[in-house]
Amino acid sequence: MNWIGLYTLMRREIERTFRVVVQTIFSPLISASLFIFVFGTVVGARIDEIGGVSYIVFVFPGILIMNVLTSAFSQASSSTYFAKWARTIEELLVAPLSYFEIMIGTVLSAVARAFTVGIVILLMGLLFGAVQMQSFPLFIFYILGVSIVFGLLGIITGLVAKSFEQLNVLSTFIILPFSFLGGMFYTLDMLPEAAQKVAIFNPFFYFVDGIRFAMVGIHDSNLLIGAIMIFALILILGGTVWRIFYTGWRIRE
Amino acid sequence: MDTTPALEIKNLHKTYGKKKVVAVDGISLTLPRGAFLGLLGPNGAGKSTLINCIVGVNKITSGSIKTFGFDVEKDYRESRKTLGVAPQEFNVDIFSKVSSTLDYVAGYYGLRKEKREKRVEELLDQFGLQEHKDKVFSELSGGLKRRVVLARALVHVPEFLILDEPTAGVDVELRRELWSYLQELSRAGKTILLTSHYLEEVELLADRFAFIDGGKIVAAGSKEKMLAGGKKLEDVYLELTGKNKV
Repeated sequence: MNWIGLYTLMRREIERTFRVVVQTIFSPLISASLFIFVFGTVVGARIDEIGGVSYIVFVFPGILIMNVLTSAFSQASSSTYFAKWARTIEELLVAPLSYFEIMIGTVLSAVARAFTVGIVILLMGLLFGAVQMQSFPLFIFYILGVSIVFGLLGIITGLVAKSFEQLNVLSTFIILPFSFLGGMFYTLDMLPEAAQKVAIFNPFFYFVDGIRFAMVGIHDSNLLIGAIMIFALILILGGTVWRIFYTGWRIRE
Repeated sequence: MDTTPALEIKNLHKTYGKKKVVAVDGISLTLPRGAFLGLLGPNGAGKSTLINCIVGVNKITSGSIKTFGFDVEKDYRESRKTLGVAPQEFNVDIFSKVSSTLDYVAGYYGLRKEKREKRVEELLDQFGLQEHKDKVFSELSGGLKRRVVLARALVHVPEFLILDEPTAGVDVELRRELWSYLQELSRAGKTILLTSHYLEEVELLADRFAFIDGGKIVAAGSKEKMLAGGKKLEDVYLELTGKNKV
């Protein structure tokens, strides 16, 4: 392993994140703060407890995981697309770095940004009294697992996209609606029966439900299915990214 | 003394896309250590493709390339450590500071912090970039950008330097400085492959030439042999590439 090379790749990406700190850190913080304010103070005050907790405590894990996964995805997709667009990816291709190291470096920098955003939002949640923590190891597992999944998905999107517009397609048409429909604001039994049957096929439902269990201690889904899904997605997406790098598709002519 | 060639290309073929457009068509070339090769040819002849195959930016369709005995695909890590490349087009993060650009690339090659900082300082001095080290790449003039790309190619002290049109768009002063620096590197035993449209530059610096046209090497040999009888490189070039036939 080229450890110094790998560390440098991560360092470069993290420094890039802080070069545009308003976009990468403050923007999700403001968005999360608005959600917390609206659901904690405005709407939350008029809603009964769910699962024995206030509404803001119930929705906070969903808000947190949505920002974590969006940050991981944005970091990896924009970094990969920019490297391709500006041809800085050639700096990596001519360096003594393996494809595996390039993949790991990019994913870990996505995880680092996701954790930074997660910590900042967690602190904001503490100020609003929206944070509970039932299992810290499980909390870390979900934050880490989901960040890796969306970091890998971000790399694939960055490689596939041929324009900045295409880069936002997955974010707008998949990530945003699926997160909102993944039980961020409601429990499964609040949905009509038909919708409940569909919801269990939404992977985001398991991410939201898992982090909610880690923080609040309540859940709707089979947590084992969620954990297996995270591991399976990491393997499938990781294999896909490695294969893309190996074949050089959209990277090496 | 190790006599493994600095570069050994065997029957290299490179095609692009589904239509299999031929860019390199069966090139074989050997370059001994310490040689200074001028790679010449018209636009679209296959020079940049050949370079990209050597450094790992392009995939090889068939054939093999070794640098210092290391296969560029199988032993890519070892091969790439021997190579420093300055491409024709700028492929630098335009928002990154000059010093950071050099530092990052040094890191990719595994240089530790103290070594990296020392090397970056040396290169900033060498290429007159000290006063520009905190500027981002997009703020630099064309000549300064070219200096950064050259400094970047040398950051890990490679044994083999590949320069694709290194003096394109630079002023006369920098060009002459660069010539002098390349001669110094060559005297120090570094192997250099240079492509340039400035034939007087190649004639001055290189000790051997290879002419490429239509993806094939049409002639190759030492300077003495190719310019025997007082020929000018320009005349040889026009003769070999057929560009003197109007």
